[in-house]
Amino acid sequence: MTRRPAMPNDQLLLPVNPVFVGLTLAAALALNLLPLGRMTAMPDWVALVLAFWNVHQSRRVGVGVAFAFGLLMDVHDSAVLGQHALAYTLLGFFAVTMHRRLTWFGVPGQALQVLPLFLASHLVSLLVRLVAGGSFPGWAMFAAPLLEAALWPLATWLLLAPQRRPPDPDEHRPI
Amino acid sequence: MMTIATFDRTPPPFFRQGPSALTKLILCSVFAVFLMVADNRFVLTRQLRAAVATALHYPQMALALPVEAFRDADRYWSGLDRALAGEEAAHRALALQSERSLRVERLEAENGRLRALLGLRPALNVRSQAAEVLYEAADPYTRKVVIDRGSLHGIVAGSPVVNESGVLGQVTRLFPLSSEVTLLTDKDAAIPVLNTRTQGRSAAFGSAATIGALELRFMAGNADVRPGDMLTTSGVDGVYPAGMPVATVASVDRKSDAGFARIVLTPAARNDAVRHVLVIEPVGQQLPPHPEAAASAPAETASKAAARRGPKAARAMANPG
Repeated sequence: MTRRPAMPNDQLLLPVNPVFVGLTLAAALALNLLPLGRMTAMPDWVALVLAFWNVHQSRRVGVGVAFAFGLLMDVHDSAVLGQHALAYTLLGFFAVTMHRRLTWFGVPGQALQVLPLFLASHLVSLLVRLVAGGSFPGWAMFAAPLLEAALWPLATWLLLAPQRRPPDPDEHRPI
Repeated sequence: MMTIATFDRTPPPFFRQGPSALTKLILCSVFAVFLMVADNRFVLTRQLRAAVATALHYPQMALALPVEAFRDADRYWSGLDRALAGEEAAHRALALQSERSLRVERLEAENGRLRALLGLRPALNVRSQAAEVLYEAADPYTRKVVIDRGSLHGIVAGSPVVNESGVLGQVTRLFPLSSEVTLLTDKDAAIPVLNTRTQGRSAAFGSAATIGALELRFMAGNADVRPGDMLTTSGVDGVYPAGMPVATVASVDRKSDAGFARIVLTPAARNDAVRHVLVIEPVGQQLPPHPEAAASAPAETASKAAARRGPKAARAMANPG
C-alpha cells in the first residue's frame, strides 16, 4: 500500500470525538427542521454533513446512519416514506466508496467531486416523486446540489476544526 | 493547498468490520423501496410515521421559537403605526361582523322554525377547534402544512381546515400531537363547489400547471362561468359545511383545443402567511349512519368513515353531469 507523499502544509489531525460527530449531525437536522417555509433551492444540510462524515469517518458514520436520517426527513417533510432514506443511502454509499480517493485532493477539488453525488441524490428524490405522481417543482431545485457542493469547503473548515492540532514542531516532534 | 487525512489512534479491526457498505446499501435500498410502496399502497407505515412524527414534535416546536421570535422582532421594529392601523382594521371588521352575526342568529332561528314547519331535518351545526400552523412542509412536490393539533386533541382525519377568509384544505394525515393538512392548491386535492351566481355544481382541483391556484376541470367549453364568479362549498360531500368561500374565477380560456374550458381559480384563503386556522368536524359525522353499515358494524369509528371520504371521494364526484 502506497502512502501519500507528505506535503508542506500537511497537517496531522487528532482522532475525532464521536460526540462531536453526533452533535454536528443533530445540528444539521435542526437546520433542516427550521420552519422557513417552502424553499426549493435550500441546501439540504443533513445531506451535506452526512456526506462529509461518510467521507472522513466512514467507519463511524455509514450507510445505516444515512438511512435513519432519511426516514426522519421523510416524516418531517411529509414526503413519501423512504424517499430521503433512499437518496441518503445512495449518497452515503458513494461517499464511502470514494473516501480514500477524495482525501488526495485539495478542498476545491473535493467539492467538485462531491457535486455529482449531491446532484444524484436530488435526482433520485425527483425520480421517486415523479413516479409517485408529484409535480415538477421547478428548475430552482438544481440550485440545491450546487449550493451543497459550494458549502463543502465551509463544512471541511468547521467540521474538522476540533481535530486540528495546533502546529508546534520542535526538534523531537518534527511534524 | 492543504490536504487532510484523518488517522485514528485505534487501528481498524481486522476481522470484525461488520457488513460491507455494498451489503448495507442493498439492504437499505430494498427497505426504502419497500417503505415507498407500502406508504403509497397500504396503511402499514402509518404507525411508523406517527411514531417518528411524535418524536420530532418537540424539536419542531422548539425550532419554531427562534423563527417566530425573529418575525415578531421584525414586526416590532416596523413600527407602532402599522400596529395601530392593524388594530383599527380589526375593529372595523369586528363591527361589520357583529352586525352580520346578529342577523345570522335571527336568521338561524327563523330557518329552524321554517324547517320544523316543513318537516325537514334540522340544519347541521358546525363544531370546530382552533389550531396553529407549526410549519409549511418543505417538500416542494406537494402543498401541505402541519398544524399543532392531533388525534389526542380530538381531530379526525378528513376534517376541513378553514381560516377567516375561506377553506384552506383538509386533514390528510393524523398524528398524536400534530396533523398534516393538504391545501386545496395541492395537485391531489379536490373539493366539490357551487357557483353562487349560476348555482351550478362542479369540482375544483389543485392546479398542476399554476402554482398556488386551483382549476375547474371537465367544464364544457360553453359552460356559464365568468371571471369573478364566487365559488363556495356545495355541502354534498359530507365533509365541508355548505356555503364556505373556496375560490373566485380568475380566468376562463374557451379557445383551448380540448373540448373543455380551461378555468383557473384564485383560492379565497391565501395559503401563505396563515398562522391561525380552524379545524371543523366533518359534517358527515353528524349524519345518521347508513342503515346497512349500522347493522353490520355499529362500532365502526367515525374517524375511519371520515378518512374514507377524503380527497378521493371528492374526486369521485368530479363528474356532476
